[in-house]
Amino acid sequence: MISLNVAAEMAVWGKWLGDGLSKTATGASAGNAVFGIFLTLVVFLIGQWLFKISNGFFIFQPLFVGMVLGIFILFLLAKAFGTDTATFYKSAYLPGGNIIFWFLNPATIAFAIPLYRRNDIVKRFWLEIVLSLIVGLVISLFIIYEAGKLFGLSKGTLASLLPTGATTAIAMPIAAAIGGNPAITAMVCILNAVIIYALGDWLVKVFRINNDPIGAGLGLGTAGKTVGSAKALQLGSIQGSMASIAVVVISIVVDLVVPQFASLVGLR
Amino acid sequence: MAANKKVSSAEAPEKEQASPILIQMGIFAAILFVSSLISPLFPASFPVPTPVVGLILLYVLLATHIVKLRNVEKFGDFLISLIAFLFVPSGIQLAASLKVLQAEGVKIIIVVIIATIVMLVVIAYTTAGFIWIRKHVFHGNTDIDQ
Repeated sequence: MISLNVAAEMAVWGKWLGDGLSKTATGASAGNAVFGIFLTLVVFLIGQWLFKISNGFFIFQPLFVGMVLGIFILFLLAKAFGTDTATFYKSAYLPGGNIIFWFLNPATIAFAIPLYRRNDIVKRFWLEIVLSLIVGLVISLFIIYEAGKLFGLSKGTLASLLPTGATTAIAMPIAAAIGGNPAITAMVCILNAVIIYALGDWLVKVFRINNDPIGAGLGLGTAGKTVGSAKALQLGSIQGSMASIAVVVISIVVDLVVPQFASLVGLR
Repeated sequence: MAANKKVSSAEAPEKEQASPILIQMGIFAAILFVSSLISPLFPASFPVPTPVVGLILLYVLLATHIVKLRNVEKFGDFLISLIAFLFVPSGIQLAASLKVLQAEGVKIIIVVIIATIVMLVVIAYTTAGFIWIRKHVFHGNTDIDQ
């Protein structure tokens, strides 16, 4: 009885959403961006609520919950419509998702502010910062490459993994240039940020990374990009500033180092 | 001129006041616009995306005191506080690449987790090493005001 009701509900919603979808597909109605924005807000707020009532249990980080729940809801809705998740995502979620996504542009620029607030550290330690990022990245590349080979990843996947120290927009073309798949690279960049967001506090504690605030900031900024920088800011102003500078400098270092590394290990 | 000076000195106590939020947004939009013009000038083999150009641009403007902290601080801090939320669509984007994940399955996730931890730990420790060298080899000052 109940399931019948649910089915009837679904049919009504389905027709309503379906109408919206066809309009979105033809570009007739920009109003459909509302679905993506609304879904993003709802899943994130549920994440915040879960995080709060679980007293900050790490797996309930709002970004992580929002992502998993959002994908799950899209998966269910796609099933209900009889399409696959990727198609449904593109037609129903993307218009709204893209609007929120766009604000990552000014948000990335905004990291110049915490960077400038600790300009004293930048001026004193710029040489150590640049050297650490270059040397640290090269060591990381070797370890990541060997770990990938150990797990038997294909050459293409390995090449997609190597540039992910840089921000997505830099990592993708480099991955393509060294024989990787840019789609995997984009996915890995996102996973990097989500992992740092979920495990960052724990990793900082376990590896005693915060003993050196400059290193903590550079590490979080490289591994977690802008999300890592936000995490670093929670640790302190120096960490936040260093993470911001890491996002910029590591991207340029990746630009220069990764293609060389790829030919060194014979990836291309 | 003199009148202007008088007005500005009268306003001096309010100097620290933040700029109106729309002006702050305007500054961000202007930087973003200029960055979007600069970014394509980089060659394809050395890509520098718009937000990274913008970050450098805003830092330079702040360092040269052309833009003051009070002009951008409020809106900038607000955006940074929203980062996790702004990243949710990127996370949900994985819904479109579930197929890619299926190809190499759990292996790739494990390697990505390892890679993330490696980048964090190796770079943090390398930095600690260079700071140690500065202190013990070059006897430099490594004291930091928290």
